[in-house]
Amino acid sequence: MKKNFHKNRKKIGYIVIILSSLIMFTPFITATLNSLKTYAQYTAVPVEWIPDPIRWENYSDVWQMTDFALYGWNSLIVTVMSVLGAILSCSMVAYAFARLEFPFKNSLFFMVLGTLMIPPVVMIIPQFIIFRHLGFLDTLVPLWILEWLAQPFGVFLMRQAFLGIPKAYEEAATLDGCTPFQTYWRVFLPMCKPQLATLTIFTFMTKWNEIMAPVIYLSSAEKYTLPIGVLQMSGAWFGKEQYLVAAAIMSLIPILIVFLLTEKFFIKGASSSGLK
Amino acid sequence: MILVNTETVKTQRKTKKKKGPVLNHEGKWGLLMVTPYLLQFIIFIFFTLLASLYFSFSSYDMLNPPEWIGLENYNKLIQDPVFWQSLKNTIYFTVLFVPTQTILALILAVALNQSLKGLKLFRIAHFIPVISSWTVVLYVADAIFNPRFGLANDLLVKIGLQPQQWLNDEQQVIPVLVAVAVWKGVGYMMVIYLAGLQNVPEDLYESAEIEGAGVLKKFRHVTVPLISGTTFLVLVLSTITTFQAFEQIYVMTGNGGDITSAGGPDNASMVLMLYLFQQGFSFLKMGYASAIAWVLFLILFVITMIQVKLQKKWVHYEK
Repeated sequence: MKKNFHKNRKKIGYIVIILSSLIMFTPFITATLNSLKTYAQYTAVPVEWIPDPIRWENYSDVWQMTDFALYGWNSLIVTVMSVLGAILSCSMVAYAFARLEFPFKNSLFFMVLGTLMIPPVVMIIPQFIIFRHLGFLDTLVPLWILEWLAQPFGVFLMRQAFLGIPKAYEEAATLDGCTPFQTYWRVFLPMCKPQLATLTIFTFMTKWNEIMAPVIYLSSAEKYTLPIGVLQMSGAWFGKEQYLVAAAIMSLIPILIVFLLTEKFFIKGASSSGLK
Repeated sequence: MILVNTETVKTQRKTKKKKGPVLNHEGKWGLLMVTPYLLQFIIFIFFTLLASLYFSFSSYDMLNPPEWIGLENYNKLIQDPVFWQSLKNTIYFTVLFVPTQTILALILAVALNQSLKGLKLFRIAHFIPVISSWTVVLYVADAIFNPRFGLANDLLVKIGLQPQQWLNDEQQVIPVLVAVAVWKGVGYMMVIYLAGLQNVPEDLYESAEIEGAGVLKKFRHVTVPLISGTTFLVLVLSTITTFQAFEQIYVMTGNGGDITSAGGPDNASMVLMLYLFQQGFSFLKMGYASAIAWVLFLILFVITMIQVKLQKKWVHYEK
């Protein structure tokens, strides 16, 4: 009877998961097929699923006729600068919280906790004004600079990692004459590669896809990152909307590759965000 | 978990008191190494909170210095029909979205939490919408919900029903936005639930089976109570983010990224965050926008407090 039961559970599991995977995949497949059609076929009623002829040129046209490459470059700058800032600043701050004793440590850590509770909405406008005074409007700087100032999610993730390392490593390093910073940099940081990978990938995903900050801070088209760059193409491509679909799919490809290569760390990051 | 952390911090504080604060070698390095966070806190959190509170009592267009006008922004807000409309829409959106996503995520996690063939592929399928930007989602969703040539209408016509206007219809716009948002977000919540399910001991299921409990009974009487801590967390977090939803509505309803055109048709999908943006960044009413921000903050604070209070009634904590 028990065996039967397990079989049943599996069967239901398969049905639920296959059905929902279909719901997840179908829109992507439809959109990808759409991106390979002519405009006439793209807008055909009833829907013609299979592109005929297959217009691969849609992709090369987008690449050649728009600033897609420029937007991609801007996105890359923002993403790389954010990732660098996040792993350096979060790990350093987290190390101090996890392994060092210093004045006001606990009150400061309470502040980090408190930061998580404040909805970003109340800070948007003053932050905009600060960046305006610093002369950073219409530059990429506001899109990544805050990552260099230790965001709470990364601090928690790294603090948890550092807390799990035995004290003996610290003592050995101190005997060797390392300052606390050197101990962190040479001994502890290399031991936390999985968490650093998780933080990297998470920051990558957030920044690659971010829309709100670019909308606030960027005004000239040559500064646009991919999500808003592609979004604002629609004005120029009236009557050729299949190009927009191709551009959108193209902007997904880099993050999709990163995701497929590092799926394990994505899942880790997502689950730890629930367990902070 | 946040609550647990504060507990440990409290006990740490007690032990520290005995030693008393000393600025030795280690203390100096400690302070130096937390400097990035200190900078952030002072400039980008403490200062911005004060400034934003001050702006909410001022008239401020960014060209001239802010001018104190007392409660005028808040008075205007109470009489602003678009504000009430966006508050109503925000609540409607949240009430539809949060429970739907939570329930579906739990069901999917339970279905996935066993040794199935192709497990990895299924997980990837549910995570691709999570890693897509809202711009990608816009065009992917358009393949389904385009009123002229989308798949959904194609299907409706085939089974003899009327084609719908979807995002262009005042009644349908929010439910369609919610459906798309659930589609995009459910994989993420599912992974959080999967992590929570790892902590449910297998022997509880086995003893339930011996007592003859079926799939549904086990789900209701074993899984749901034991996972309620995760559910609480998921509910609180997703309520907070949903109340501040901006990107999805801006992208899905705005015309090619034009912020003043978003929130339609006829304000039917205007939410608080979008209204704040339009008032602040399109019309440069920074004071008025700050007042909206603080009202939003207060509402969220009250909702979170209610959730924390109600938690004792249904969240099962292991002793």
